[in-house]
Amino acid sequence: MEPGVNTDMGAAAATLDYDAELMLRVKEGDGTSFGVLLEKHRASVIHFVYRLVQEQAVAEELAQEVFLRVYRSRSSYEPTAKFKTWLFRIATHLALNWLRDEKHERGQERLDEVSGDLPVRQVCDRRPSVEQELVYQVKLEEVRRAVAALPEKQRAAVLMHKYEEMEYAQIAKVLGCSESAVKSLLFRAYETLRARLAHMETT
Amino acid sequence: MNCPIENRNSAMLVAHAAGELDPLAARVLEQHLAGCEACRSVAAEQIAMWKALDAWEAPPVSPDFDRRLYRRIGEGAPLSWWERLARPFRAIPLRQALPLTATAGLLLMAGLLLQHPGSYAPAPAPHSQAVRADQVESTLDDLDLLRQFGTANSAESVHNDAM
Repeated sequence: MEPGVNTDMGAAAATLDYDAELMLRVKEGDGTSFGVLLEKHRASVIHFVYRLVQEQAVAEELAQEVFLRVYRSRSSYEPTAKFKTWLFRIATHLALNWLRDEKHERGQERLDEVSGDLPVRQVCDRRPSVEQELVYQVKLEEVRRAVAALPEKQRAAVLMHKYEEMEYAQIAKVLGCSESAVKSLLFRAYETLRARLAHMETT
Repeated sequence: MNCPIENRNSAMLVAHAAGELDPLAARVLEQHLAGCEACRSVAAEQIAMWKALDAWEAPPVSPDFDRRLYRRIGEGAPLSWWERLARPFRAIPLRQALPLTATAGLLLMAGLLLQHPGSYAPAPAPHSQAVRADQVESTLDDLDLLRQFGTANSAESVHNDAM
């Protein structure tokens, strides 16, 4: 790489974010920077993909593919957007492709299955009783089904907005649509989710 | 303020539920909610739905996630000729590899021997026939001598016994 080009890219990355700067270091052969990026984004990518595909093993496999693609495309990396936007664009692309393939193979039967991937509660003030745990699992299953029933793009938009706290503009870049389209996606998605889940806190 | 429901601007109600509104905007919206039944209802539902989504925790990440990733990265790296040659055998443990190597060596030797049996036969010694004839002659002479010696001994012992 020519030094001039490198400086320009470094300046561009500085105006974007620190992650893009780290990625430029990876491009120059710094493996430690890749480790830093992995440490920072590992959990959020896996959790995002998990909530999209709703299978932990598949989510980890797809997340591996995401980071593998990031590493393999390091030589052609250009910091044209925030690193997280680029990362989630890859993750969304892979996860939605997997969902489409899976849909063709298994139809909608997955939604009717009792999943073995129900997570164990991680944080709790005290040990929940069996009854509380059952109530939690029923509630969780209802949330999972409600989210899974959303159209793919609405689902991805909700997950990025709710769990990743991404801004409309960032979600728009990930999904390759306008900001107003994202607002519309979220409006419809939250309307559907309110209808299915709003009773949960009042019951 | 304009009614978010009437203006189809529920983004404000979503932001309110998520706690994303700045204090001033939040105060203005709450004043509106106090007098607007429709907005109050949607805002309450949005908060309830938001809390329901909060309950969905993702499972913890596998502890070997990084190790698996770095192994895959390593597999994709360009290999030297030796690594490429040894790659198919990397999974075979040393304990199994040694007998396998020995067997392969023996089979190779056997193959070479079968293909060129003449070239590995011991070369005939040029003077072996002459040496062998001399040896046979000498052995026969020795046997003859022994026989004569034995006959003489037995005759002598008979003579001694008779005396």
